[in-house]
Amino acid sequence: MFEPSFATLAAGIIQTLVLIAFSPLLTGVMRKVKARSQKRIGASILQPYYDIVKLMRKDEVISDQTSWIFKSAPWINFAAVATAALFVPVMLAYSPFGLAGDVLLVIGLFSLARFFTVLSGLDSASAFGGLGSSREMMLSSLIEPALFLTIFTVSLTFGATNITTLVSSAAGLQQLVTPSLLFALISMFVIVIAETGRLPFDNPATHLELTMVHEAMVLEYSGKLLALIEWAQSIKHLTLLALMINIFFPWGVATSLSAAAVGEGLLVFAAKALAIGVIIAFIETRVAKWRLFRIPDLIAIAIASSMVGIVFFYI
Amino acid sequence: MVSSLTLFQATIILYSMGALLALLLRGRKYSNLLTYLLPAAASLFAIVLSANVIFAKDALHISITRDALAQFGFDVFIDGISAFFILLIGLVSLAVSLYSVGYTKEYEGRKDTSILGFLFNIFILSMLLVVVSNSVFAFLVFWEVMSLTSFFLVIYEHEQEANLKSGMTYIVMTHLGTTFILASFLVMYLQTGSFSFDAFRQYVPFIPLQVKDIVFILAFIGFGTKAGIVPLHIWLPQAHPSAPSNASALMSAVMIKTAIYGLIRVLFDFNSVGSPDYTWWGILLLSTGAITSVIGALYAVIEKDIKRALAFSSIENIGIILTGLGLSVIFASFNLTALAVLALVASMYHTLNHAVFKSLLFMGAGSILYATHTKNMEAMGGLVRKMPWTSLLFLVGALSISGLPPFNGFISEWLTMQSLLSTSQIPDSTLQITIAFASLAFALTAGLAAAAFVKIFGISFLSRGRSEHVLHAVEVPRSMLIGKGVTALAALALGVLPFIGINLITSAFNIQSAQPASPFDTITLQNASGSNFASLSPFTVVVLLASVAAASYGFVRVVGGPTRQVVYETWDCGFGGLDERMEYTATSFSQPIRKIFKAFFRPRNSIQREFYADSNQYKRKTIRMESTTRSLFEERLYTPVVSATIFLFDKIRRIQTGKVNSYLLYILITLVLLLVLVRLSP
Repeated sequence: MFEPSFATLAAGIIQTLVLIAFSPLLTGVMRKVKARSQKRIGASILQPYYDIVKLMRKDEVISDQTSWIFKSAPWINFAAVATAALFVPVMLAYSPFGLAGDVLLVIGLFSLARFFTVLSGLDSASAFGGLGSSREMMLSSLIEPALFLTIFTVSLTFGATNITTLVSSAAGLQQLVTPSLLFALISMFVIVIAETGRLPFDNPATHLELTMVHEAMVLEYSGKLLALIEWAQSIKHLTLLALMINIFFPWGVATSLSAAAVGEGLLVFAAKALAIGVIIAFIETRVAKWRLFRIPDLIAIAIASSMVGIVFFYI
Repeated sequence: MVSSLTLFQATIILYSMGALLALLLRGRKYSNLLTYLLPAAASLFAIVLSANVIFAKDALHISITRDALAQFGFDVFIDGISAFFILLIGLVSLAVSLYSVGYTKEYEGRKDTSILGFLFNIFILSMLLVVVSNSVFAFLVFWEVMSLTSFFLVIYEHEQEANLKSGMTYIVMTHLGTTFILASFLVMYLQTGSFSFDAFRQYVPFIPLQVKDIVFILAFIGFGTKAGIVPLHIWLPQAHPSAPSNASALMSAVMIKTAIYGLIRVLFDFNSVGSPDYTWWGILLLSTGAITSVIGALYAVIEKDIKRALAFSSIENIGIILTGLGLSVIFASFNLTALAVLALVASMYHTLNHAVFKSLLFMGAGSILYATHTKNMEAMGGLVRKMPWTSLLFLVGALSISGLPPFNGFISEWLTMQSLLSTSQIPDSTLQITIAFASLAFALTAGLAAAAFVKIFGISFLSRGRSEHVLHAVEVPRSMLIGKGVTALAALALGVLPFIGINLITSAFNIQSAQPASPFDTITLQNASGSNFASLSPFTVVVLLASVAAASYGFVRVVGGPTRQVVYETWDCGFGGLDERMEYTATSFSQPIRKIFKAFFRPRNSIQREFYADSNQYKRKTIRMESTTRSLFEERLYTPVVSATIFLFDKIRRIQTGKVNSYLLYILITLVLLLVLVRLSP
């Protein structure tokens, strides 16, 4: 398997850079799929890159009510999410920093990112910011237990929270599916949609005060800071997808460091990520945004599903 | 090397001197400085003393027994467990003493601060003596001194009616607890024939199991009352906010931990819980912990009084500590030693962490109170610009308590989660599913705690000021910043270099664990098949975070070029006149959570509208909305019990007619009954 060496470390860092670099592409593809299934032509799949570059070159307007929290939050957000991406395998069944942190640390880093984003929403003294922050905290205080219980189920099945051990034993699993993993997958799918603020939880394409959650928090941002937030959101999306893919559908992931295996792993990963992205985009065109207070029901289903998964594991 | 005895004596003398000088130098020029610098010095001695006992293994055993009073001797015994708690007391009281130098200015000219200084010193001293006492008599005496001094601290501002009421609740509840502790010790005395803890340790293996169960239940209720477990918690959110903030910091950070100390003595020192007979003790601790943590967190989220919110969060954290302790007992009862050690380390690490960040947060809340004279978060806002250092330090506390990397709360929550995840090794599937539900509670708690602290920090420090209270707020004096700085540094150090905490705990509790010995080692846990279950190296994580941040800054700078920032007002949809009445408040922030958990909070919204004309109900003259939540515990549990008690005593009072004749009749009846009883008994 993977011995800690310079080559594996380099390969591990490269896979994270791949994740960070290609994450806006996934966003672009999903927007395109959405547009086509709504009989629109839609923007180019590279549009998210153009947006990020354009935003980075723009001037910034900063509210006079804000403090250093507002200015540093996007940086902390981006750094925390990108660091979390370092721990998540993409095409290798290996997490280069697996000894320094596990899947619980990834959740912790996401929470750190969210903590500062929510504070920045409150910092601008705008009613929108407070609205977004309040809703985000309500959702996250329910999504976090759901995510933890899913991890609980998975780590019971594979005997680890260490991501390298987790993914290698997932890749070596003989059975195609076990009941507990199936229930965990249902839960994980709901969480991925909820955590990344897609329909029916939140609509990333709207600025309507009745519905928005994430967009309301970041409404005051512009320029470089907005670019960082958008990019971090894409990275978070792909990181969660990578986690889901490598735990639940690890087939084809590279278990050795040969060029063929890595290339195959990368292609298979891209195919799987695209497939799931397309499914999510397709779901988004089929459902409407749910009323805010119906969303906890959906998260409750995720929590119940992973609890059922745990019970199935034990009996 | 200095012996433990000298250090112990120096500590006690310095605290006592602090107390005496506070009274003697009342009103003199430097009295304030002396009153708090002496306990700060004493705390340093206490820290050295605990290090001496933990690492140099210089345990201290003093017996001050006289023959005539052999049963009531004042035995002092400082082993690793005591030393760990002495460290807690020393660390927190060092920070809080420095803080108090400035904080007491809040009361100058208004109150007699010498009394406050006296109580402060005696309070710390009594807590210290509780954890070193080695006999029932000494333990209970100091326990009572601790309860009484804290009671007087709670009612220090007795001019306010509400504080007297909280003091009353506190003293009733704490004595209820003491009664149970006393009962527990008396049962032990009946079995062992001695009041000495040494005898308890020696004879406990010979006590029948049922009696041990009774002793445990009594001790659990007794210490649980002090710790604030649900449903015995109602005194805590009343008493902690009423006390002056330096005292609340001590009460929340340390005093409730003396109850954890008591539980540990009973669980692991007097007993050794190494057989399945004790599993249900662990289940009791675990389930109580789970319920306590969720309920504490739920109340903390909706609270708008900053100190009450912190008090509820203390209840939540006690729940987390008990979760770890319960797991440890469960694992120990199945002889899974390595896991029992993991869970105990998790629990004690959280005890240490909570002491650090809760004192930091209470000192922060006290600083806000000092600057704005209000505890109501709805009246705060915008303090980040007026009090930059306080806000930064408070943010450290908020991040730590929310369990976010790289701060200390993350380490102990990580360890607790790992203990919860290790339950697959328990050979009992019913128990495993029970623990899975405890994990659900734990995860929910973590999510809610983050929501609570986002709210507390965001509403009090960020956005515009919501009232005139914050207009004239200025940064607090330097001594108050130093006090908070000490604990903030400790929070960071324990988060980045967890080997400090883990080594401390494993040496103090004299347990073996294959855990890091050097700063750059990782915490590693093995799974049943010997491969890496989980590992964590917070130091590496911090290095990675910093490098990623630097790299992304460089990238953005290269791609985007220099930034020009324009300062402009917040987007107001073009209407203009965005003001503080339009921004989110503490109540509106927590409204979604209040609504989701409405079965628990039972919110009542009453809306009163007044119209210009009844015919047109669209134009309102005034609108007034009031939203209240109810406390299920007070309503469903305490009110019925209190009214039933009053009813019962009302009935009993009838026999007290005040006439001598009837009393003589009672005596006669009693005499006859006793004679009959004597005759009947064999």
